[in-house]
Amino acid sequence: MTLIKANQLKTGMFVLYKDQPCAVVKCEFYFPGKGSAFARTKMKNVKTGNVYEYTFKSNDMVESVDIETTELQYLYQDGETFYFMNPRTFDQFEVPGKIFEGKEKYLLSEMKMFFNYYEGEAIGVRFPLKVTVKVSEAQEASAGNTVNAPKKPVIIETGVEVLVPLFVKEGEMIIVDTETGEYVSRA
Amino acid sequence: MREQVIDAIRAYFKGRGFHEVEVPLLLPTPSTEPFLEVFKTELKDDQGNRWEAFLPSSPEFALKKLLSAGSGSIFTITKSFRNGEGQSSRHNPEFTILEWYHTPGDYMTVAEDFEGLMRFVFKSLNPARSDLAGSSRNSLQGLTLGYQGKKYGLKSPWERIRVVEAFQKYAGIDTETMLDEQKLIGVGKKKGYQVSEQTTWEEIWNQIMANEIEPKLGTKGPTILYDYPITQAALAKKAKDPRFAQRWEVFMAGLELGNCFSELTDPIEQEARCKADLAERKCLGKTEFPMDSDFIEALKMGMPETGGIAVGVDRLVALFADVPDIADTLFFPVGEMFPQEL
Repeated sequence: MTLIKANQLKTGMFVLYKDQPCAVVKCEFYFPGKGSAFARTKMKNVKTGNVYEYTFKSNDMVESVDIETTELQYLYQDGETFYFMNPRTFDQFEVPGKIFEGKEKYLLSEMKMFFNYYEGEAIGVRFPLKVTVKVSEAQEASAGNTVNAPKKPVIIETGVEVLVPLFVKEGEMIIVDTETGEYVSRA
Repeated sequence: MREQVIDAIRAYFKGRGFHEVEVPLLLPTPSTEPFLEVFKTELKDDQGNRWEAFLPSSPEFALKKLLSAGSGSIFTITKSFRNGEGQSSRHNPEFTILEWYHTPGDYMTVAEDFEGLMRFVFKSLNPARSDLAGSSRNSLQGLTLGYQGKKYGLKSPWERIRVVEAFQKYAGIDTETMLDEQKLIGVGKKKGYQVSEQTTWEEIWNQIMANEIEPKLGTKGPTILYDYPITQAALAKKAKDPRFAQRWEVFMAGLELGNCFSELTDPIEQEARCKADLAERKCLGKTEFPMDSDFIEALKMGMPETGGIAVGVDRLVALFADVPDIADTLFFPVGEMFPQEL
């Protein structure tokens, strides 16, 4: 752990705030015009998800937290727990489902992604922005609905429904945006 | 939206006898605010003469020279520049500023102007239509503006609160404590703010403002926070209680929309404050420049009693357009033209 000045804070850093590890989700510097410099921040407690807003003086000292980043490969799911493996050491890791924030529905076996670890606990994940998945169920487009509904729902291999253009057929590979859940293109 | 807001602002002031004036963007010396960094450039002629030149951080001095020359009430919508601030959702280094000066008048005259202006712009953007009722985020009848999922009433009179009342109400700090350096720093320390030997009254005061007071202001409609400590208002007249200055700021939806003074008209006092500001600039390692002696001379000719205000037009546009970031109101935001290196 190292002490840094608040004017070095950046979005994406991890700091201790009120003894809790927090991710800096927003950090803006401002000068009240007739005053000295301040850092207006929004921080998210990585354990509880609570969000704090706090304004630091730019020369306040803040404790930055060492976060370990490890690339892991997905193995399987058991209830709310997801199992991953370090592809180099073959060590296995348990990851609680909640850190995926709903994106776990796009997890495919052997998918690799980076995890943030704090004191041995997974606190965040950089989920791939796009995933390539196979369309497992798709109905043929019927002629009648081409005018008002140029899209149709299909089921992808992870069991999630995605709206795709009418030309997409069963068995094809498509790319899906994991942020929005929208179809991007054919793979 | 930007075009409509600016058209409405012009129409409002022209309908009330204000003259629109232009101010120079290339100056031999900018205004003296100690904490604002400026853009410095150089003017050359064909004889090889060179002059230092600056981009203005506000049009204030130029406008006051016009007022002293007898212009009457004036307004300008112009560009101003602030350097070295980093990028944020509320600032762009080059920004559009509206300043108006109401003479004869004072800071409370301008408060009424601002209330009228906001209503006028709102009505111009929401012409009375029956289909507006119900579904729309804006309600004309209640003068209710929707912004980022919340509603704000623009009806007059807006909430007005003195700075000392706000400190008492929201931070539990009384006037004596607020104005005393040692007492305020002591309270700040108890509240858990970091205090070192270099910590100043001004830093703790602003930190309490930012953390405990500003978030409580302007949550249902604009709030005018007025009568600032005299040290927080370099260009304002003193209030009845000489420890305070006739200055207000207006807050809404977490944005500071405007900063208003009863303008200081005393050239001797003004010169002293400018000199103190320039000395502070030197201490802070900001770009140094000479004092604008023309400005002081102009005040000696006699500046009329005037209330003046600076309003960030980009923020107003963001508010009326219901976007969270002023970059969304600009065709060419600075962050896109000067991308940060990754």
